[in-house]
Amino acid sequence: MKDVLIWIHGDCLNPHSPALLAHPDAPRVFVFDEEVLAHYRLSLKRIAFMYECLLEIPRVEIRKGQVVAELAEAAREQGCTRIVTVESIAPRFAQLRAKLQREHNLPVEVLPLEPFAELSQTEQARIELKRFSRYWNPIKAKALALNQSFDW
Amino acid sequence: MKLKTVFNHRDELIAYLRETFPDAAARSPEIADTRGGRKAAEAALAQIKPERYAATRNHLKGAVTRLAAYLRHGVLTLAEARRAVLQRGGVKAEKLVTEFAWRDYWQRVYAQIGDGIWKDRESLKTGWRPTDYAEKLPDDIAQGTTGLRCMDGFADELRQTGYLHNHARMWLAAYVIHWRRVRWQAGAAWFLEHLLDGDPASNNLSWQWVASTFAVKPYYFNRDNLEQFTDGVYCRACQRYRNGCPFEATYDELQTRLFPRASERVSNR
Ligand SMILES: Cc1cc2nc3c(=O)[nH]c(=O)nc-3n(C[C@H](O)[C@H](O)[C@H](O)COP(=O)(O)OP(=O)(O)OC[C@H]3O[C@@H](n4cnc5c(N)ncnc54)[C@H](O)[C@@H]3O)c2cc1C
Repeated sequence: MKDVLIWIHGDCLNPHSPALLAHPDAPRVFVFDEEVLAHYRLSLKRIAFMYECLLEIPRVEIRKGQVVAELAEAAREQGCTRIVTVESIAPRFAQLRAKLQREHNLPVEVLPLEPFAELSQTEQARIELKRFSRYWNPIKAKALALNQSFDW
Repeated sequence: MKLKTVFNHRDELIAYLRETFPDAAARSPEIADTRGGRKAAEAALAQIKPERYAATRNHLKGAVTRLAAYLRHGVLTLAEARRAVLQRGGVKAEKLVTEFAWRDYWQRVYAQIGDGIWKDRESLKTGWRPTDYAEKLPDDIAQGTTGLRCMDGFADELRQTGYLHNHARMWLAAYVIHWRRVRWQAGAAWFLEHLLDGDPASNNLSWQWVASTFAVKPYYFNRDNLEQFTDGVYCRACQRYRNGCPFEATYDELQTRLFPRASERVSNR
């Protein structure tokens, strides 16, 4: 599938990310977001840590600048027409994703990551986020049990 | 702009990063010993001793996992970490899995409120108004020149290593917010600059927990507590040990001193 570009972002610097597993031959790009670096005043040690994580991802292309513009340029260079990535709850992720579609006509498919604990809809509905205990008590037993399907 | 991806050794990488990210290098040039990458993450995961963790995690020298930066950046998933420690520790891993759950909890709150994590979740329970707190982090705290060995030591460690033990984060945050009466947001932004695991959700919501805007009472501590979980290493070297240590008091005394206007008792005990 030559048309796919994988967007690696800071919430999943994992060589076994679902996006990489789903498209093992696709080009993959990470962009150091200059606005984020400046806004949070991120220190060099943090950048170095992330860079070392990235260097363990085979054939990764690392860029810095405006995320949307850099991804669009990478897509153009590689002849890709769509982007695949994994979920992130950061508000900025949703904004960048919308902008890629809007300004560059690049659809972004978002693959789910494995959740902390597999919960049924009923369990999910019992969770309240007001306090930790109200979140934890309903799911505790499940989260402390090993899911057999992963046990081999 | 495309960046280099081939380096012969770590020093070469670091020299390249200094050139490529000059603003960050000028602000805080330190490089941590902690290595990034999946291999390092797996090595850290392999070393976890769930039972020892449960028994010693509150102590600064306790058997904590140091997984935070890998989890923050998704080098490992929380699901993988959970499975690995349950396989190894069974019921003995309960404490550790509960700590993992804190991360999941904060993430869920973040998913719900987004940038709202920068605003007070609830009202303060300290008796102070939001405007009673200073906007900016005082320089002596960030520079580690308060004269308090513990707090200066934590500030240095944060800057040098990008890591602090959970208890040190709690003490430092409580000092900033309750003793110096600084807005939690100023402290939170400072931590996010330096922590390798800096995570808007875990960080800000923990600061709010200390501040009392996401808890039923503020978190504070006294010297006995700090001395106990540090083996007194800071106190022994501190000039202010017998000369105006602001933490030497009972919880009742501290409550009167720090929160004189609080309507309800906010004691930690
Ligand atoms: C003021 C303050 C700021 C914090 N900022 C951050 C932050 O930016 N990023 C961050 O990941 N954690 C943060 N924490 C939570 C906690 O201190 C760190 O996750 C922990 O100290 C990291 O060290 P460790 O990996 O050795 O932890 P361990 O004690 O070995 O715990 C294992 C893992 O569980 C999770 N965990 C444990 N305790 C907590 C907690 N209270 N909240 C959320 N996750 C937890 C972490 O992912 C951690 O890696 C903060 C806590 C406080 C009090």
